Amino acid sequence: MRMLRGKCRPMVPGSQMGWFGFGFNAFGQIPEAAKCEGKEGTGQNAEVKVIVPVKIACCDLDRQPKRESEHGAVNTGSRLVQIRASWSRRATLHLGDDGHVCLSGFGTPDRTGPHSVSQSRGCRDVQVSERHLTLSFADRVECWALEEVAGEPVWKMDHSPANEAGLPSALPLVPGGYVGTAPPFFHPLSPQLHVTSLALGQQHAVLLSASGGVFTWGSGSHGQLGHGELVGETEPRVLEALWGMAMAGVAAGNWHSVCISAGGDVYTWGWNESGQLGMPARALNEARRLTGQDGATHLQSDGEEDGRGVFISIQAFPALVDIPEDSEVTKVSCGSRHTAAVTKTGDLFTWGWGDYGQLGHGTPRSSDQPLRVDYFSNQGLCVLDVVCGPWNTFVCAVEREPSLS
Amino acid sequence: MAGVWKEIRAALPPTEADFPLHFSEKVERSVVKVLEQARLQLYGSEGTSLLQHTAQTILDFSWEKLNIGTWRDVDKEWRRVYAYGCLFKVAALCCAEPGEAEVCEAIRTCDMGLLMGAAIMEDVLQTMVGILQGRLRRGCSEQAGAAEGPGAKRLKESCVSVPAISPAKEVPRTKCLPLDRFRMDYLNQEKPVILEGAIDHWPAFNDHKWSIEYLRRVAGCRTVPVEVGSRYTDEDWSQRLITVSAFIDRYILGKEEGDGVGYLAQHQLFDQVPELKADIHIPDYCCLGEGDEDDITINAWFGPAGTISPLHHDPQHNLLAQVVGSKYIRLYSPEDSRKLYAHQSQLLHNTSQVDVESPDNERYPLFGEVPYQECLLQPGDMLFIPARHWHYVRSLQLSFSVSFWWC
Repeated sequence: MRMLRGKCRPMVPGSQMGWFGFGFNAFGQIPEAAKCEGKEGTGQNAEVKVIVPVKIACCDLDRQPKRESEHGAVNTGSRLVQIRASWSRRATLHLGDDGHVCLSGFGTPDRTGPHSVSQSRGCRDVQVSERHLTLSFADRVECWALEEVAGEPVWKMDHSPANEAGLPSALPLVPGGYVGTAPPFFHPLSPQLHVTSLALGQQHAVLLSASGGVFTWGSGSHGQLGHGELVGETEPRVLEALWGMAMAGVAAGNWHSVCISAGGDVYTWGWNESGQLGMPARALNEARRLTGQDGATHLQSDGEEDGRGVFISIQAFPALVDIPEDSEVTKVSCGSRHTAAVTKTGDLFTWGWGDYGQLGHGTPRSSDQPLRVDYFSNQGLCVLDVVCGPWNTFVCAVEREPSLS
Repeated sequence: MAGVWKEIRAALPPTEADFPLHFSEKVERSVVKVLEQARLQLYGSEGTSLLQHTAQTILDFSWEKLNIGTWRDVDKEWRRVYAYGCLFKVAALCCAEPGEAEVCEAIRTCDMGLLMGAAIMEDVLQTMVGILQGRLRRGCSEQAGAAEGPGAKRLKESCVSVPAISPAKEVPRTKCLPLDRFRMDYLNQEKPVILEGAIDHWPAFNDHKWSIEYLRRVAGCRTVPVEVGSRYTDEDWSQRLITVSAFIDRYILGKEEGDGVGYLAQHQLFDQVPELKADIHIPDYCCLGEGDEDDITINAWFGPAGTISPLHHDPQHNLLAQVVGSKYIRLYSPEDSRKLYAHQSQLLHNTSQVDVESPDNERYPLFGEVPYQECLLQPGDMLFIPARHWHYVRSLQLSFSVSFWWC
């Protein structure tokens, strides 16, 4: 899933790589770097909706003098970090010799900034849910209950250290299966699937195999499995509609699924309730009509159509999404009801539910078509990676051009 | 609307300490924290300016929980959280001199809580909606009156094709049938019958004669689930939540361009609007069942001419009372289920694939030979449909029926 392609590499050493966040912030999980570094804390009145992307403070350790990082695909002179988010929290993973995780949001001792999790020393990957923090180490995986002060993890699995040649698989994958967000945590996966990455929705899973095939299982109530029916599957079932096309990445929202092909095309399926599939959604059309944003450009004859044809509520088979400017997509991530995609050219596109500003367009509004997030291009930033929390979005970007200093 | 907040506030616990927020382990602490924050905003000194946002966060979060998995698997705690979200939103809408639009939105919010939430704080949302509806009606009654012309006083009637009933197949009719005769001749033998003279004493036929105007007055601002699409087995069938007034305008009067046939079907409207419940009476015949009166499910079926319920059966006995308009009904015995071609899927296994009034004899060759009974159900008629009897229903005019399911 780490597909950091060449074109957007920073031009000169010393270019700043940074993480940005936008969307739901009721628990202060998107603290602004400026506020955290300053003397004032964000206090109790943290803005609930961050509608314009802000640069975020990753951890208290970031404020220490910078050291050269020996690790990471992007050697920027800054430490490489990864972000994962639950509804009320953000977990920041710092790689390097002192790998560790910082948490911010609900349950952190004060709201002045993230704090480091002592149990995470040496960890390689992290996953966070409302109740549990999963930490992956070279030789073990541990799940810790977030709401209990426990001396022991609630679940633990030891395994032989990953060999030097093979990269350790990314969570939720663990040797022999994957780890879910609730007991019994571990679920085995058949070795015959040759899994390379796995995305977990609320009640469904989307798996990518080494050969580029996609498998889905779990609840199918809203078409999120893509097999053309609204029924569930107990075992991984290959997505025949995509057969023969090599896929390169998968993502899952609460009721929708997304995958990208090796050629950079985006396919979506499932529930389009907020436009998260990037297809015309009835609710959004009605909202546009009510707020008068519809304009007089297309008069609707029977309320069933807009300029792009009939409304889609449930899309039970994968459908190709039209990303503007023929962009090739290299990375995709889903929130509960929104979708974000990074292109080869370093642009970010978002669509779906936007009530909390999670689309980053400067408004708390949804969109049923992919829209470019202009903030990053306007700031001269090249987007490398995107990770969605349920109601928010985190973006990793570097400066596109060398600065004239 | 001056004074609304005073009334709403009086229906809430007097202090923050009296306002209960107890949830099981199912509800994460982060969510409880937001609920507590809303409570603080409601009672605290810092004012209620942020309450609407906090309420919306609670609603958005619990809405997602309500939509995970199937409805019957949703934990009741999440339906309680949703109801709290509705309560906080109602308070936020009403606390600063609400206009009519805010009161209507507050009523809609209460209805969403009543439809999708679980009862909280002694059914406080029912209390709230009573207060709000009373306020709204007082505001409206001054402007009402000449608004609707005499033509609109009664339900509009538009006819569709009326099938000829074959006398040999007609469901038998009886007048003022005594309870013991009903039990012996029909209930015990599981035979359908039309009962005349059993419901015409209802206020719905007399003092509170049901008309569009009347329904709009007592329930116009209430949000109800509406089925859109010819029949529930169709691909494009869907359910919407709209107000009774909007339903009347769009699907009954055809004022707005609609998107197909709309049917306010199988909805427990009488629990939602107690005033309408007072217009009907539970038939004595239901007391012959083994269940409690509380176990009787009363549903409203309100729609234009041409609504169709495909051939299906229900697990309980049904007394279908026709109040307004007429319906064509066809009945098949459970003994013939094998020849009625039920859908294979679990969801529709109680529903036949056959289009009863124009069957595809090649696909369903056995259907044509199955004996059936039929009738035109008229205002004042009540049809007894024994449990598991297959029935097909098509409205011939604008129609309002009330069904009583019992066992």
